[in-house]
Amino acid sequence: MTNAINTNYQSFKFNQRIRRIIKFGIILGLITFGYWTIIFLDIPIKRMLDMFGPLATMLAERVFPPDLEYASSWKVFISVIETVEMSILGAFYGTLITIPLAWCAAWNITPSREILYPLSRSIIVLCRSLPTLMLGLLLVSLFVFGPFAGILALAIGTIGFAGKLMAEQCEAIDMGPVDAISATGASPLKIFIYAVLPQVKSEWTGIIIYNWDARLRGSTILGFVGAGGIGLHLRHQISILEYHATLGIICIIVILVLFSETLSHFCRKWAR
Amino acid sequence: MIQKMAGHINNPLRKRNVIIPRYIAYGIILVIILGMSAHLIVFGTDWKRMSSINEVFETLFSFFPNLKFIPEIAGPLFETTLMAFWGTLLAVILSIPISYLAATTTTPSMLITFPLGRAFIVLSRSTHEIIFALIFVVALGLGPLPGILALACRSVGFMSKTTAEAIEACNQGAIEAIKSTGARKLVQFFFAVVPQVFPIFLGNAIFQFDINIRRAAILGMVGAGGIGLHFSEQMKAYNYDNAGACVFAVVILVILGEVISNRIRTKLIAG
Repeated sequence: MTNAINTNYQSFKFNQRIRRIIKFGIILGLITFGYWTIIFLDIPIKRMLDMFGPLATMLAERVFPPDLEYASSWKVFISVIETVEMSILGAFYGTLITIPLAWCAAWNITPSREILYPLSRSIIVLCRSLPTLMLGLLLVSLFVFGPFAGILALAIGTIGFAGKLMAEQCEAIDMGPVDAISATGASPLKIFIYAVLPQVKSEWTGIIIYNWDARLRGSTILGFVGAGGIGLHLRHQISILEYHATLGIICIIVILVLFSETLSHFCRKWAR
Repeated sequence: MIQKMAGHINNPLRKRNVIIPRYIAYGIILVIILGMSAHLIVFGTDWKRMSSINEVFETLFSFFPNLKFIPEIAGPLFETTLMAFWGTLLAVILSIPISYLAATTTTPSMLITFPLGRAFIVLSRSTHEIIFALIFVVALGLGPLPGILALACRSVGFMSKTTAEAIEACNQGAIEAIKSTGARKLVQFFFAVVPQVFPIFLGNAIFQFDINIRRAAILGMVGAGGIGLHFSEQMKAYNYDNAGACVFAVVILVILGEVISNRIRTKLIAG
């Protein structure tokens, strides 16, 4: 009897020791991996630790204060307006494409589970995984320099971002009204309009407003690859090493994004 | 027929004083959007420089990924993933004190430290990662290090915000229990708040890693290391098939990261 307890206890002790050794091994492996990645990435740790002094002096002498005269000039104001317009248009046209896609990509209400569902899902996944700035550069080389490529890039970004969220909202609806309306022999489009849309309307409004906010963030930087908006001035000022004007533009971008964030917050509260 | 008409009359949303202002509002929105489209797409874009539709399709097909180029960019792809990893790790470490300051229930003083923490969050969330990368590239030179720091600065805002919200929403009973033993404020934080917040925190960190892969992919375009550098080089050299290969590789990497992070997060939530 005591022997059995002893062996039980011993095996427990043994297991615990093995578990501890495995844990130790994992931690050791992670630390080794981290050290190896620092060597692989060729990161100069010393330069990083010495960075703060030069960074502070550089910021104080060459970047600060922002050139507000340049930032409030007419040229920059026009490009700010262009940025906002680009974000609104990209979000609007993107949403127009997204609504049917989200309808097809929701498993419970999709019109055809064999063809349209996988197709729209893969379109949404593809659009989600393309970074907006890369897409902007591709579209600028494909079409023309200017806001048109930026609007297209933002619309594709909208499909990826809003499509997934909207489809998830569709999958969470109450199926009772859908069954009731389909029992009358209504077509899939009518089911969508009369049973699905009223249930997801307020959530979709919130998603659309949030998506516009996210697109505005993207559109401030799209000009960097020549796709319209304020990013073009940013790139120009950086390439001629005018850091005061650059900081002025960065200030404008931050103010713009803060403004849009507050606006979208209140709009979402109002829409709910 | 009569019933249909009656339905229309009885519906309060179909009354004239409701429906006319609504259509006017829709009309105004439509006019604004059409005006913007006219401003930007019709007049703002230089259509004379745009090539014919055949040439556009020719360029589109020249983007078809050159799969032979993918072994050459395997190193940069790995570098991008590592940049995302280190950026997320730094952001996770930095977000602990900032979320401590920015949560209303734990912050030491509502007048000084709370606005400070919120200001960090707002500044980090509202600045694009490219802008951070530009600042760090100017300060530190080229390479993955400025990219890592830019990613850390960019993602610390989201991490701190979600963690602060989790801290505010956590069960106050545990805090009171620890407080009643006479523990200090920091001890209360570590033994009452941290165990409650930790699963949410870990889930957000994995989510942030997934997003950071996407962000790291473009940082190279301003010289901060990773796949973006090769992409913009190939674009500048008009090697469209190689650039297409870069985009293809990024898409595969991002989808892979998303699938893996979703798996881990559902496992974490399930227990």
